[in-house]
Amino acid sequence: MDLLDLIDLTQSVLDGVLFGATYSLIGIGFTLIFGVMHKINLAYAAASVGAAYLSLIVVSHVPVPVVYLVAALMGGVLGWLVYLICFRFLPLSNPLATLMSTVGMLLAIEELISHLTQGMPMNYPAMFQSANIEIGSFFIRGDLLFVFLIGCVAMVGLTQLLKRTRLGLATRAVAQQPVAAQLCGMGINSTNASTFVIAGLLGGTAGAMAGAAIGVLSPLLALPLTVKGLVVTVIGGLGSIPGAIVAGLIVGGAENLFQFIRGVSERDIYVMLLLFVFLVFRPGGLFSPPGGRD
Amino acid sequence: MKCKSRILGSMLVTTAALAAAGAAQAQDKALKIYGFGAKSGVVGIFGQQSEAAMQAAANIINKAGGVTLGDGSKARLVIEYLDDRCNAEEGINALRRIASQNDSIVAIGPTCSNVAEPVFGILQKKVGDSSDSGIQFPIYTDVAAKGGLASISQWSFRNVPSEANMYKSIFDWVKTSRPELKTFWGGVEKDFAHSNATYGVMKKQAADNGLEVKGQSEWLLNDINFSNQVREMKRANADVVAISAHPFTTCGVLKEMARQNVKPKLLIGLTSSSSMETLQGCGAQAEGLVIPTSFAPVNDNAKSAAAAIQAINPKYNMDLHNAAAYENVFTLKDLIEKQKIMGRPDTLQADRQKMREALAGMTQTNGLLGAVGRTGDREAVKPYLFVQAKSGAWVVAHTPAQ
Repeated sequence: MDLLDLIDLTQSVLDGVLFGATYSLIGIGFTLIFGVMHKINLAYAAASVGAAYLSLIVVSHVPVPVVYLVAALMGGVLGWLVYLICFRFLPLSNPLATLMSTVGMLLAIEELISHLTQGMPMNYPAMFQSANIEIGSFFIRGDLLFVFLIGCVAMVGLTQLLKRTRLGLATRAVAQQPVAAQLCGMGINSTNASTFVIAGLLGGTAGAMAGAAIGVLSPLLALPLTVKGLVVTVIGGLGSIPGAIVAGLIVGGAENLFQFIRGVSERDIYVMLLLFVFLVFRPGGLFSPPGGRD
Repeated sequence: MKCKSRILGSMLVTTAALAAAGAAQAQDKALKIYGFGAKSGVVGIFGQQSEAAMQAAANIINKAGGVTLGDGSKARLVIEYLDDRCNAEEGINALRRIASQNDSIVAIGPTCSNVAEPVFGILQKKVGDSSDSGIQFPIYTDVAAKGGLASISQWSFRNVPSEANMYKSIFDWVKTSRPELKTFWGGVEKDFAHSNATYGVMKKQAADNGLEVKGQSEWLLNDINFSNQVREMKRANADVVAISAHPFTTCGVLKEMARQNVKPKLLIGLTSSSSMETLQGCGAQAEGLVIPTSFAPVNDNAKSAAAAIQAINPKYNMDLHNAAAYENVFTLKDLIEKQKIMGRPDTLQADRQKMREALAGMTQTNGLLGAVGRTGDREAVKPYLFVQAKSGAWVVAHTPAQ
């Protein structure tokens, strides 16, 4: 390996780590819902992409940050709808029921996007696209740094929300002891719905950031983001928000590293192998949260 | 006198009623042309646009009086399109369903090469081979573009352009008009049959025309990060970059190229990307992209066909794929009349056989850009031209001599 290859390898990993910030944002949403309800919402990434699509309605009338804000709001609305359709009236004691309903919702959202847009890729605006940082032979994308920053802000914001607000207290109580929380006057349904709305707000932001990072929105995004989000959630530790952030960056970096070394057709094999290694040797993930009293 | 005129009047009324009933009966007679392809899923636009083009052609034919059947009666053409989601299994199911109908004499489709290959595989390979229990049903493909597919069965026919000819021609043109271009780099969507096969053609033609092939970048249909691939491209610093990918990843790569400031002297794209999808996804980054295509609204026929599909749905645009579906309906109408197809359940197998023979006997058909030749292995030799992305539209860059 000559110096040029080494520079390329480092740049590849750097690009992957930065791009992994979009996986982190999706992973946070998965982990938040799992942390509260112990359920996987497989429609989360599709709803996030859907929210980004909905924000395109205002794209020609408002500045780019407002487009992202609209995506976040739409994500909140979609999150609530997903909760209502896939969780609220289904028997939560049966884990397969909600799993299958969210798979159905994933496909329904993907199909809806395909039909409404005729499957056409849509241009999505990016911020700081030309604000790239060049350090010697290395190149850091400004827009991905922005996504990374948003991920960090989301992590801090969510942690504060969970630790310092009444909603956060209720969320943690429902997650740990739902019956006791109910006896203390906390509404399980309203807490769950709030969690979905918060995760949805974040999901909308994640969808917008993914769209901005790629530059294009397409229904093709829903499935890879779902897979990456799940991998990140498991590696980071189910229910751990900092874990999702770190795991997103690791998965992004590993993906590019394996692609550089072994090529695109073998890349995903190694990423899945990484997941397998975690499942076998560290099933709780990197930041396994402390279990509840139950 | 009064009685006489009453009788005359009632006779006139009866005659008029009978005539009206007859006309209504003729108008009610329908002949179905089936279509199948990806109408949903991520490449659903192909099937939606093919169906719209078939419907647009049928509307024009019906407005002009419909199709004349073997017994001299007139029938309306009715289009029924089945969705295969670009999935081989669903494509096979769609064909089996179509073939089991007692009003199906021919079908147009499918849209995806990965569906066409197994679908043609379940047809009878050789006509009249009693040891082959394959389905005996004629298919006239409009979109699936992978080279040589019609040779799989004698019941399969295609009206798709020969990408081998088109890319041979484009690289010939590059060689003569841009002799300063010396090096070539490719980009290929590795897991999509059409992109992968066409890249092989591009690479060969580039080398045959004296360009030094410096290598290729590879990605997958669902990929969202192209930084590695574009960096390889940047390092190669080739004069010509050819991207063999569908619009979503073509746009992803073009945007990454803009970020990394990769500006080849000439960009060549995949036929399927010469659509509005690419311009809508990344019009600014696609500026200058040259693609060979078998459709552009360059004459009155092509312009009116493009208008006809927009009348079905203003969001749809005519491109090389649905233009073939449009042409196929007109060709089938002519063949139905020429072969005196009866369109009755009791003549079903004979009608299918006649349609196959008619399709096999074609030496030339009418295309929107001019006459379409036919080859012995049931493929088309379509006229084509090169279009270039300019200011958010496709404009004709060159019309090669053919």
